[in-house]
Amino acid sequence: MTLLDEIRPRIRALDAMPSVPAIVQPLADLLREDPDQVNLDKVVQLVSYDSTLAAQCLRMANSPLFGRRNTETVRGAVLALGIKRVEAIVLGCCLNRIVPPDKWALDALTFWRHCLGCALVSSKMARVIGYPDPEKAYLAGLLHDLGVLVNTVTCTEQYRCAIEQGRWQRVPLHVSERQLLGFTHCQSGAILARQWKFSSDVEAVIEFHHDVVKSDTARPLVALVHLSDLLCRLRDLGYGYYEAIGVDLAGDDAWSVLLESCPALAEMDLARLTMDIDGAMDEITAVVDAVFRPQAPSAR
Amino acid sequence: MQAESERASCQQPTRKGCACTGTGRLETAAKTVLADTPDLQDPSYLKIRDVVYQISGIYHPAEKLYLLASRCARRMTAIKAGTPAEYLDHLTVRGNREAELRLLLNEITIGETYMFRSPQQLEALRSVILPQILQAKAALGFKRLHLWSAGCSTGEEPYTLAMFLLELKETLLCGWTFDILATDLNDNSLAAARLGIYGEYALRSTSDLLRKKYFKPHDQNRLQASEELKSLLRFDRVNLNDDSKMTFLKGMDLIFCCNVLIYFDLASKRKVMQHFYANLLPGGYLFLGHAESLYQVDDRFHLVHFPGAIGYWKPPVGCVAGVKR
Repeated sequence: MTLLDEIRPRIRALDAMPSVPAIVQPLADLLREDPDQVNLDKVVQLVSYDSTLAAQCLRMANSPLFGRRNTETVRGAVLALGIKRVEAIVLGCCLNRIVPPDKWALDALTFWRHCLGCALVSSKMARVIGYPDPEKAYLAGLLHDLGVLVNTVTCTEQYRCAIEQGRWQRVPLHVSERQLLGFTHCQSGAILARQWKFSSDVEAVIEFHHDVVKSDTARPLVALVHLSDLLCRLRDLGYGYYEAIGVDLAGDDAWSVLLESCPALAEMDLARLTMDIDGAMDEITAVVDAVFRPQAPSAR
Repeated sequence: MQAESERASCQQPTRKGCACTGTGRLETAAKTVLADTPDLQDPSYLKIRDVVYQISGIYHPAEKLYLLASRCARRMTAIKAGTPAEYLDHLTVRGNREAELRLLLNEITIGETYMFRSPQQLEALRSVILPQILQAKAALGFKRLHLWSAGCSTGEEPYTLAMFLLELKETLLCGWTFDILATDLNDNSLAAARLGIYGEYALRSTSDLLRKKYFKPHDQNRLQASEELKSLLRFDRVNLNDDSKMTFLKGMDLIFCCNVLIYFDLASKRKVMQHFYANLLPGGYLFLGHAESLYQVDDRFHLVHFPGAIGYWKPPVGCVAGVKR
């Protein structure tokens, strides 16, 4: 029996997470409706019930990364962010709570900095190259490493060893996972994504963001997140250790895949995008520190 | 527009903000100066940012706009421009626009340099780039490396590279020999570089161990590079626009050219890049200043990302690019 088979029941058990707040399910159901039909007052009401969620929405709405609007109310924040972004925040909040504080194998804030960075870079790159759904790119970027959380919860000690090996050998995390666990966070993340009935394109991103050409679904989105993930890991928004890699992004398979559907990629100023990421680093850190630190901030 | 020969007349011989050396102190100073000054919401700053990027290739992300605004503030005071919009006029439509842009670029890149400014770039060299290059060269039976600091100013960059290589002599570079060509157009800068005398600011990131190993006391406040360090360096006066000289600088593994091309017009930049490309061996890398970009200047180099650093790679003939480890 492989370790992946061994942890399958534990992944199934993640369905009954006591730590996920009661309001999340109704909120998620509400947000799944057609954006034109969503009852905004109900969304505001549900978000307001959860102090952490409310604080996250306010912090993000007031960050320059999201346009900075000087919003002081939950309603203003929800309006400023938009329904899609609120959905992403709800999901991020849920995911953060599936890992008990003492189980984190990677530093929690480092992990969320990577995920938020990848979400922002994915949506920014999507806008620059004319990818049709930047909000989907944001969500997929935020969730792409779901499997890291799965591994953290279901095989904590082995996972700590895999991370340590990655750090020691200076190799990408999925490489040390494959060496030590026999599977990667892509595989374990895909199991949970299917179980939680994520959309097929987000599921494809979770499963194939380290092997874009193997994906049958949503390849441009998978490629976009793959490139954003690499960029983040190479600009100090990675897993908190040095990966000894050099990456020619324009020579990567994912670049060719994305180029087929977004020809504007060929004109993208990659050096400038990189400098934009560097420039946004402090704010990303500040937002993640404010939003994902273990102690819950109070809502206004 | 401007050529390197004109840069020499700027009388800013120690101006650089390059990969191994840089201008960190100025960022702090600019933040302080700007605590109660320019209104960064003024859209003229974004337009000035775009003009600077278009002409020089130096980019200021939104979060670093305060730095650009501080440089503009100095120039605005000097020429008595009342608003950023008025200063934008000076840079774009008035008769003095080329001269003013040059003076602004001087402000942007001014500052004393220091050694070991970019540890990420050196780490990328040690962990990824040199192993690749050594493997490829060793397979051909070569065991010598050639580096070039083009526009070396007062020498902080080539001396950093020399120390970096010497530190690897017993490990990664065991059995290898190496040399560093250090060139600049400015005779005064070259003279200072040859002397190799540096104060505390230039050595601020140089460890005590390296200071003891590679420098000797010069006077109460300054140290001088040892003969061992100097023996690795060959200083020369080179105008990057001089085709006849550039043609003979072939066989380089690594070229460093930081904040020099920003003074060149597009045609000159392209010509220099052609020379750099021809001068690099296949598999070699070019490094620019950390805020510089080659966008729309040259598309033969491959932009390669390393953790915290960017290099421009000349791929070997027939090589399929991609993730390299």
